[in-house]
Amino acid sequence: MDKKSLNITIPDFFQKLDLSRLSVLLKRSTSKFAQKIKYFIFNFSFIVARFRYYFELWMKMTRNSFMVLLAQKRLFFLFLIGKLLRFILFGVFLIFLVKGSGSLAGYSVNESIFFFLTYNLIDVISQFLYREVYRFRPLVVSGDLDLIMTKPYSTLFRVLLGGVDLIDFVTILPLVVLLIYFGSMLDPTFIELVYFLILTLNGLVIATAFHIAVLSLGIITYETDHVIWIYRDLTSLGRLPVDIYKQPLRAIITYLIPVGLMMSFPVRSLLGLMPFWGVAGSLVFGSLLIILSIKFWNFSVLRYRSAGS
Amino acid sequence: MVDGKTSGVYNTNQNERTVIVKQLTKNFEVIEKEKGLTGSIRSLFSPAKKTVKALKNISFNIAKGELIGFIGPNGAGKTTALKVLSGLLYPTSGFVQVINFQPWEKKREYLKKISMVMGQKTQLWWDLPAIDTFELNQKIYEIPDTEYEKNLKELIDLLEVGSILKRQVRTLSLGQRMRLELVAALLHRPEVLFLDEPTIGLDVVAQQRMRDFIYEYNRRHKATIILTSHNMDDVVNLTRRVIVIDNGEIFFDGPLRKLVTDYVKEKTITVNLSGQTDIKDFETIGQVKKVKFPEVVLVVPRETAAVASAEILQSFPVSDLTVEEEKLESIIQRVFRRSE
Amino acid sequence: MEKFVKIFKISAQKELAYRSNFIMWRIRNILQIFLIFFLWDSVFSEPQKTIFSYDRPKILTYVFSLLFVRAIVLTSQATEISGQVARGDISSLLLKPVGFFKYWLTRDVSKKIINVCFAFFEGLILYLILKPQIYIQTNPIYLLLFMISLIMAFFIFYFLVMANNSIPFWVPEAAWGVNFILISVLVEFLSGAVFPLNVLPVYFQNLLSYTPFPYLVFFPIQIYLGNFSYIYAIKGIIVSGVWLFLICLLVKILWDKGLRTYQAQGS
Repeated sequence: MDKKSLNITIPDFFQKLDLSRLSVLLKRSTSKFAQKIKYFIFNFSFIVARFRYYFELWMKMTRNSFMVLLAQKRLFFLFLIGKLLRFILFGVFLIFLVKGSGSLAGYSVNESIFFFLTYNLIDVISQFLYREVYRFRPLVVSGDLDLIMTKPYSTLFRVLLGGVDLIDFVTILPLVVLLIYFGSMLDPTFIELVYFLILTLNGLVIATAFHIAVLSLGIITYETDHVIWIYRDLTSLGRLPVDIYKQPLRAIITYLIPVGLMMSFPVRSLLGLMPFWGVAGSLVFGSLLIILSIKFWNFSVLRYRSAGS
Repeated sequence: MVDGKTSGVYNTNQNERTVIVKQLTKNFEVIEKEKGLTGSIRSLFSPAKKTVKALKNISFNIAKGELIGFIGPNGAGKTTALKVLSGLLYPTSGFVQVINFQPWEKKREYLKKISMVMGQKTQLWWDLPAIDTFELNQKIYEIPDTEYEKNLKELIDLLEVGSILKRQVRTLSLGQRMRLELVAALLHRPEVLFLDEPTIGLDVVAQQRMRDFIYEYNRRHKATIILTSHNMDDVVNLTRRVIVIDNGEIFFDGPLRKLVTDYVKEKTITVNLSGQTDIKDFETIGQVKKVKFPEVVLVVPRETAAVASAEILQSFPVSDLTVEEEKLESIIQRVFRRSE
Repeated sequence: MEKFVKIFKISAQKELAYRSNFIMWRIRNILQIFLIFFLWDSVFSEPQKTIFSYDRPKILTYVFSLLFVRAIVLTSQATEISGQVARGDISSLLLKPVGFFKYWLTRDVSKKIINVCFAFFEGLILYLILKPQIYIQTNPIYLLLFMISLIMAFFIFYFLVMANNSIPFWVPEAAWGVNFILISVLVEFLSGAVFPLNVLPVYFQNLLSYTPFPYLVFFPIQIYLGNFSYIYAIKGIIVSGVWLFLICLLVKILWDKGLRTYQAQGS
């Protein structure tokens, strides 16, 4: 009797939840995934060729950006001075602050500086690569984007990577030198160093996902300027270790926004404060975000309205 | 007829038809802004949405090598139609196929075969000479060096832009820039070329130059060219077939000549008399519109215009006679007025 | 007065017309406070701690008052003039320069009023969420001096921006760059809008007191917190008055010369 009712109720329950459809969906997506793997294996040489194609395009566009910059040398120096000044001033304040108060959320002066430097590295590299995102709004509003979208290359590639910023490029090398200098004083083990590099890369992947999301939003709403600045403001919360924030805010900006994952986790791993599963989890999270952001982009492109029509 | 939606395979023996459009509809949602300070505060919290029907269930075909014009008043939907064909906009419903592709999928193979030029929009790098954009386009379209050199040379000669290739784009005049836009768009020899208001803002000489080139390019390379314009000279001098779009619907589709015969039933004859005669006799030939000696203006049915003018020359002392047809612009204006 | 109301209404409408822009502006405003608040919250996590001459309520009051002092002093619409100068878009100015300065002052005030109104609500919300201990100044003399110093700060900033706006007369492509250096970097850090200047060693602080920057944000808040004696506060107000005068003079010279070069090149 019991068994019988069980037999009836469970399929009922499943039907109500519409799990049957879910399983079909699941099957379809896994077979899609398998197809992708197959595609990847059989078309390996094709993928390499595409990669080369885009790399050559990127070099060409970078060369163009460089020539544009050469025409505006004074502007270049003004911005470089401004950026250096901002970096130095914040650093000076931070040093005196942590010296004066003894420690910052339990971190020493050197450690705090290292947090700040790591933030700057991720911030500067993503600005160097993705500067074109800041020029996206005029492109959408003027309709010039139309002429990019009717070209046989990835629109996302063009609007994300099409205009690197050489001002930021100049500052990468000094930053790396500073990072090595302060990092060596923290005495990391080899595995800690590897974790640090992996998580920094992961931070860059998350930054990429953010920029793609901003572009996608821009296609639908014509609005990127403020969103990108909010992104900058949010990530600037990661200039200092996220440990300074109280719960539940700390959890929010660590995992939800996820500034902590981007900027703080690399340093924590260098300091030996990250377990292996934390590193692995971060990587999963980063990959998930980038996949989602690309899905969002594809979704948005179908809803492109094109200015003036 | 092949139903593309269900079969998923498109009929290839129709490849004479470069463009097939069936029951295409495109809607936009727009947010309406309210006036005044209180209005802007209100729309801050509850924006009013409205659906605009840009294209309503339109169908047409275009054959390979055709030079066709979409005409209509501003906001009629002609640019929207062009953008759907080029793949920029995703149709709300209906079937669209261009050279055996669904444009909105933006397949690389498709995009390599088309090109788009829009008046007042630019693909050239503003701060660099145009030649840098051309070289970038060579990479984008993967054009082999020899072919690139050949096409570039042909286009430079046809458009006479050799002297401005190495000048910063921002320093050029609009006419010069538009010619360079054409070079950039045609380097890869597209099978289909979309032109959106290509002569807008140009002076008369530059317009003519543009038209001569488009005509010549179509003749030489048998490229299908689809252009929108509200410049009547473009339409009259270039296109053999027009699609008149108004209010999202196709109002007329056919040869330009047919638009005239369909909507112009009359011709105007202006006679200059060399001596006195009885004006009343003109009434037997046509409808007299104006008499101001020595000039007489009368309107006759289109088909009998030739006979009528011969009769006038025989029966009256005429020093000069002209037969005029209504201007295309005013015909189109009339066409639009009727559709309301 | 009627004119003012009209300009105010137009400015307010412009501000609210693009609702996403407006909402984003407000969100950014709150976010800026977040980092600073939690930084100090963390530094002063032990309630009895006193560093850099602050105790916990005073430093958190400093952070909260930033929301308002920034709204009153550092909000500006006139920063867009530099772009207009660079594009040569200022023909109206050539006709009546006095009206021009008044017009932009009104635009600035309009933006400041909107900013302060919204900052009030946002401050309230932040207060309810964060529940900081707030130091309330009750001494009327300090409050009066605070008001005076705010008014001085308001004008110093306006004329600083105006002086800055004249640079594109000579270097048109620098329009964006000069705003970035002056407003986003120098003013931001040296006025105390990010860190209270007491964090710095004393000789640095002394050095800074010879520049106009501390009088924009740091100095008024210190008066409010009662950290200065009356004499020191009044001395500071006099120094800021001298700065105001000097910057006004600078603006006059720069704009006179700038307009002359502009006219010389323009025609």
